[in-house]
Amino acid sequence: MLEIKNLEVSIGDTQILRGLSLSIGTGEVHAIMGPNGSGKSTLALVIAGHEDYKVTAGSVHFEGQNLLDLAPEERARKGVFLGFQYPVEIPGVNNAYLLKAAVNARRKHQGESEIDAFEFLQLAREKMKLLEMDPSFLNRGVNEGFSGGEKKRNEILQMAMLEPRLAILDETDSGLDIDALKAVAKGINALRDPQRSIVLVTHYQRLLDYVEPDYVHVLSKGRIVRSGDKSLALELEERGYDWVQEAASA
Amino acid sequence: MSAVAVDQNLLEAAVGRLAEDGLTALRKKALSNFGKTGFPSLRHEDWRYTNLAAAAELSNSCLSEPSPPAAPGSVDIGQLTAEIDAHWIVVSNGTVIPETLSALQEAGVSITPLSASVNSVEVHIDDPLSSFNASLLSDGLLIRIADNAKVEKPIGFLLLDDAETAAGLSQTRFIIDLGRNASAAFVELHRSSGNNAHFANSVIQIELGTGASADYVRLQERGAGHLQIGRLQALLREGATLNYTSIDVGGKLIRNDVVATIDGAHATANISGIYLADGKQHIDNHILIDHRVGPATSRQNYRGIVGGRARCVFNGKALVREGADGTDAEQSNHNLLLTDTAEIDTKPELVIYADDVKCSHGTTVGQLDKTALFYLQSRGLTLEQAKILLTRAFAGHILRKLPLENVKKYAHQMIDRKLDHLTGDSGQ
Ligand SMILES: Nc1ncnc2c1ncn2[C@@H]1O[C@H](COP(=O)(O)OP(=O)(O)OP(=O)(O)O)[C@@H](O)[C@H]1O
Ligand SMILES: [Mg+2]
Repeated sequence: MLEIKNLEVSIGDTQILRGLSLSIGTGEVHAIMGPNGSGKSTLALVIAGHEDYKVTAGSVHFEGQNLLDLAPEERARKGVFLGFQYPVEIPGVNNAYLLKAAVNARRKHQGESEIDAFEFLQLAREKMKLLEMDPSFLNRGVNEGFSGGEKKRNEILQMAMLEPRLAILDETDSGLDIDALKAVAKGINALRDPQRSIVLVTHYQRLLDYVEPDYVHVLSKGRIVRSGDKSLALELEERGYDWVQEAASA
Repeated sequence: MSAVAVDQNLLEAAVGRLAEDGLTALRKKALSNFGKTGFPSLRHEDWRYTNLAAAAELSNSCLSEPSPPAAPGSVDIGQLTAEIDAHWIVVSNGTVIPETLSALQEAGVSITPLSASVNSVEVHIDDPLSSFNASLLSDGLLIRIADNAKVEKPIGFLLLDDAETAAGLSQTRFIIDLGRNASAAFVELHRSSGNNAHFANSVIQIELGTGASADYVRLQERGAGHLQIGRLQALLREGATLNYTSIDVGGKLIRNDVVATIDGAHATANISGIYLADGKQHIDNHILIDHRVGPATSRQNYRGIVGGRARCVFNGKALVREGADGTDAEQSNHNLLLTDTAEIDTKPELVIYADDVKCSHGTTVGQLDKTALFYLQSRGLTLEQAKILLTRAFAGHILRKLPLENVKKYAHQMIDRKLDHLTGDSGQ
């Protein structure tokens, strides 16, 4: 599904990713953990196509295609989804309007016809019910005045509507109360599928209790320094990151 | 830049050609007023960005020969009413088309020609453009809304610049008087036809009696080569509310002056607007809220989207006079610059002589938010679509407060049409 090789990324004059390699198979769930500032969001944003992050070496392939050649919207249409760590407030752009435009952009790319208004509303209501979101969120501006937790839930709603091939969720669990975490986990689990891959960027074991990953990676100073199964997350929770970082630089 | 002035002799001759009627004395007085000032030059503080040389030149050439009679043009009132449901009064080159006036029958509304009622009102001729307007006025309208009348259906003014067969010069004057606790809505729609030059100069006076309220929406979509100067002169009595929104997308040179005088406690003036300019358009908005009595509230809220080599000006002033205690005045002007060659000059001013006032202002000039653009792209929208969406949302901030659903819809369409130009080719 996703093949990243020796990726080096800079912003301005600062190198952030320093030869990162990661391979994500179809149907797998991966968790990426790591200290603040280690480059997790950078990785996510590079995959989504943010132009401020310059790739200076390495490659990223998505389903055999060079992802780095594509504009952000082309990546989205092919099924790459990023749940932002900090979702943007866009006052005046209707949440339902954006959802529908996004769904239609993806459909058009797949050669399907546009979703009709009724079908769209049905689908949105169904997904919102699953996420325990009030339908009134559809009529508000995109993330406008949403609480931190509501913004994260809205990201999951978008993901649920778009049914991406690859979903990267950057700290979608941060700032959620217990109930919201459960609802979000339910949303993620509902999308777990042998044809879909999911990357969870997280600081906490909590989310992984609900959404069990197949693999756990530790990102430190721009590199994956350790990979393992879900037990690695438990170990990190207990021992922190120092031992992995030390082991890596040794 | 060579200054061109209006030729007073030509003006006098043109005024002399107008038929003797109830306005003759007013015209003479206005003519003499104008003779003392002429058009303001760029040296005048309020006119430093807006050059009236082209307007003066066009005036001179139009004044040198008798103006052709007004033609009703080819307005499809039925079509217009389907778009905006209103009592439409059609005004072609400053002349009211009588049929559209006689069709207007509404309880509590009385409309008379200004020439027949000029002695019962005060006609504003205190600034050069208003005296120019009054001196050349063939006629105007006095619109009275009776005390306590609630006029549901808006009164529409379709102001047409007819430049089909010749260059034109038009003067429009309405005096609107809302009685005690009366309420009414007005829509002023500016359009033009033809490729000849045109200069339209209008003065709308509106007085809101105690407890009266008015919604007034100005929609300007005239042709690309046309010039327009417009003034709204408002007077608010105790507890009156004026909601005014002005939308400019058309024209070559547009100057709007809004003066709202607050003459009664607990009055509210909401003055807002949006201007979209591209090519070499020039749009200048000057607003003055004159707080003479407090407590009272005023809001100025203008937004601009400027591309191409266009230039827009916002000058908003709140004047709080001595004794107008308890005044609450806010001003904001936010602008999007779409090109490096576009220009915006924004200047909010607060002049305060009273105590216990709450005044604030804020202006910004910026580009579209890159983070938001990326967010939209990451959801599958092209950069182009994302830009249009964000720009529309920026304008929508003003539009969403518009009264009357079909006016709102019309305004949205007007803006969308303009945005297609503006964002499509960056307004070059
Ligand atoms: N636009 C930017 N300008 C300058 N530095 C940046 C920029 N974006 C990221 N960085 C830097 O790159 C490094 C990695 O940031 P990134 O956001 O990828 O970290 P992270 O692993 O997601 O951290 P966190 O766990 O706190 O979210 C940080 O040191 C950050 O300050
Ligand atoms: Mg991060």
